[in-house]
Amino acid sequence: MEKKKLDVGLYGFTGCNGDQLVIIHSEDRLLDFFGSANIKSFSLAKSDNDDSELDIAFVEGSVSNQEQAERVKEIRERSKFLVAIGNCACYGGVQAMEMGQDTWDHRFEKVYGESFLENRTPVESKPIDLAVKVDFYLPGCPIDADQFFRCFGHFLRGEQPAMPDYPVCAECRWKENECLLLKGVLCVGPLTASGCGAVCPSHNLPCVGCWGVVKEGNVTSEFDLLKEKGFSVEAIKNRMRMHTGIGIMKPLKNILGVY
Amino acid sequence: MAEIIVEPLARVEGEGGITVRTEGQKVKEVSFDILEGTRLIETLVVGKTPEEDVSITCRICAICTLSHRYAALRGLEKALGIVIPPKAHWMRSLMHLGEFLESNSLHVFLLALPDFLGYPNAVAMLDKHADDVVKGLALKKYGNKIMRLTSGRMIHGENPTVGGFGKYLDRRTLLDLKKEAAELLPAAERAVEIVAGLDIPSFFEKETVFMCCEPGDSEYGLVGDQIKISDGKTVPVEQYRSLTNERFSPHSAAKHCLYNGKPYTVGAIARMNNLGERLKGRSRTLFEKHWNKRWLRNPVYNNLAQAIELVWSLEQIPLVVDNILKHEDDPAIVKPSRTQGEGVGAVEAPRGTLYHNYRIKDGLVAEANLIIPTGQSLEDIEKYLRIAVEEMLKQKADDHAIRMQCEIIARSYDPCISCSTHMVSIERT
Repeated sequence: MEKKKLDVGLYGFTGCNGDQLVIIHSEDRLLDFFGSANIKSFSLAKSDNDDSELDIAFVEGSVSNQEQAERVKEIRERSKFLVAIGNCACYGGVQAMEMGQDTWDHRFEKVYGESFLENRTPVESKPIDLAVKVDFYLPGCPIDADQFFRCFGHFLRGEQPAMPDYPVCAECRWKENECLLLKGVLCVGPLTASGCGAVCPSHNLPCVGCWGVVKEGNVTSEFDLLKEKGFSVEAIKNRMRMHTGIGIMKPLKNILGVY
Repeated sequence: MAEIIVEPLARVEGEGGITVRTEGQKVKEVSFDILEGTRLIETLVVGKTPEEDVSITCRICAICTLSHRYAALRGLEKALGIVIPPKAHWMRSLMHLGEFLESNSLHVFLLALPDFLGYPNAVAMLDKHADDVVKGLALKKYGNKIMRLTSGRMIHGENPTVGGFGKYLDRRTLLDLKKEAAELLPAAERAVEIVAGLDIPSFFEKETVFMCCEPGDSEYGLVGDQIKISDGKTVPVEQYRSLTNERFSPHSAAKHCLYNGKPYTVGAIARMNNLGERLKGRSRTLFEKHWNKRWLRNPVYNNLAQAIELVWSLEQIPLVVDNILKHEDDPAIVKPSRTQGEGVGAVEAPRGTLYHNYRIKDGLVAEANLIIPTGQSLEDIEKYLRIAVEEMLKQKADDHAIRMQCEIIARSYDPCISCSTHMVSIERT
């Protein structure tokens, strides 16, 4: 007996659309993807989208206005599983790097002045799980195609997807790269979730942290190490916050007392 | 009063829509609404290092990530007194061409073509147009491959950095890319043939102004320190504010631009109209065959302009590869010669001229101002939408037909909505 195909929707909120684009860019597998499930909604790729019940909703982007918060709630209600894909959905993305610092009102006014937007009510960008329950997280800026299709394959087989929980440093060693930290370069590889294949260190450039903080990443130790190497607290904070949004807030607060 | 709303506009990058308000046969209001959430990117780069700026601003958009990176690098390097070596310059040209191949083929084959052939998406076209979809995908894949190889990964690769590149491509990889470019030329020519065969209605035609980078040396190109305008003027990029005149519009989270109080067009059609006479080789032949005066009045020809640019890009790659190989001994990265200064970087993104303006103080970004192609085209899009709807109301067209026509017009600009919503500080006078 043929198994019923999964009903799947892909949604994009605020961000660069890079995660949906990673899926579109996977050419050969894209056709298999469209063939292996009922793709009910994928606005970047098609125009005949509907808002029906879903087995899985993949959601990209941060929630950056009240209308999006409502919309993601509505998607959640009709989806069995909701997967946050990409750093914006998982942690808020670069636009959430100043989360918790009360700078948003001031910055918004700097950009828009006294003017208001007719159709939307903007809020400070936040990750999806501050608006609804998220079942799985697929980080990355952008996500990695292999990791996405592996995750999707798990769902097709009725399994729960599993993500690697080791830092970029592990992948960096597998590639036998020279350690940039030892050379005195501000690299956040030890804190960052892997999955990219240590791509930046493999190009002689420091890891910028764009996959968010790895589970059990030792922020205190990295902070002290970088201070020892002569970097200012400001420079370390900036670099750690850049791509990690809400992911770094608590550990940094523990180290610095204030955020 | 009746309303026709297209929201969200599908097969464009980001969240946008079109609202048309009519009263009888009159158009009350037409707006191309930018509904994307606000990110305030320009406020986030303040206090960051130039390298961090590049890593942040490229995230404005996944499709034009390398154009953003390139514009940022040009602006920052001017501010920091860096002159990059020829090898780095030509590597940047290669990555930029990769993005044009990726973006133009994505738009022509997967986003625009389904409209004209009456399909909801490109996958649905497979039954009857499999050969062409496969050709489009092959071109896009090649563009993606160049982006991946030059920048480190397909999207938001960090390899192009301030002063040069972390790592350069080896001779063998470069020669393979050169070979592949030649092999794909027929696919790009096919793109031109398909798009040239489409019927483009003329009832909304009207003159406009075209703007693009002046690449210099009487060449067709994608970067420059001057802007060429179709009214005959050439203006240094430092004067970009007087060309773009950004202003706020309440229905749009992106700011609108006007030149001398009038809408203007940027993108492939602007480049072809302003620089097409400079093309050589196959792209020249195709330009001569297909260009006509309607291109000056009808934005839908942007699709054909993008297709001809696919051919041009493939013809450029062998030249660019040879130039990289000529300068193999150049240094990888050049260090800044100062820690403060100001610079404006302008490049052509696939959808038009992109400006990154920075002031650097004590080695950190003190101020940033970015002007994005789609923001510049918004007034122009609305102008043509209004004319089209007015005409269609006269002809008693139904809502569905009006909606379809509006979508075709808006989509032909290849709007990039994520890009357009990053915003710029309002200047109050």
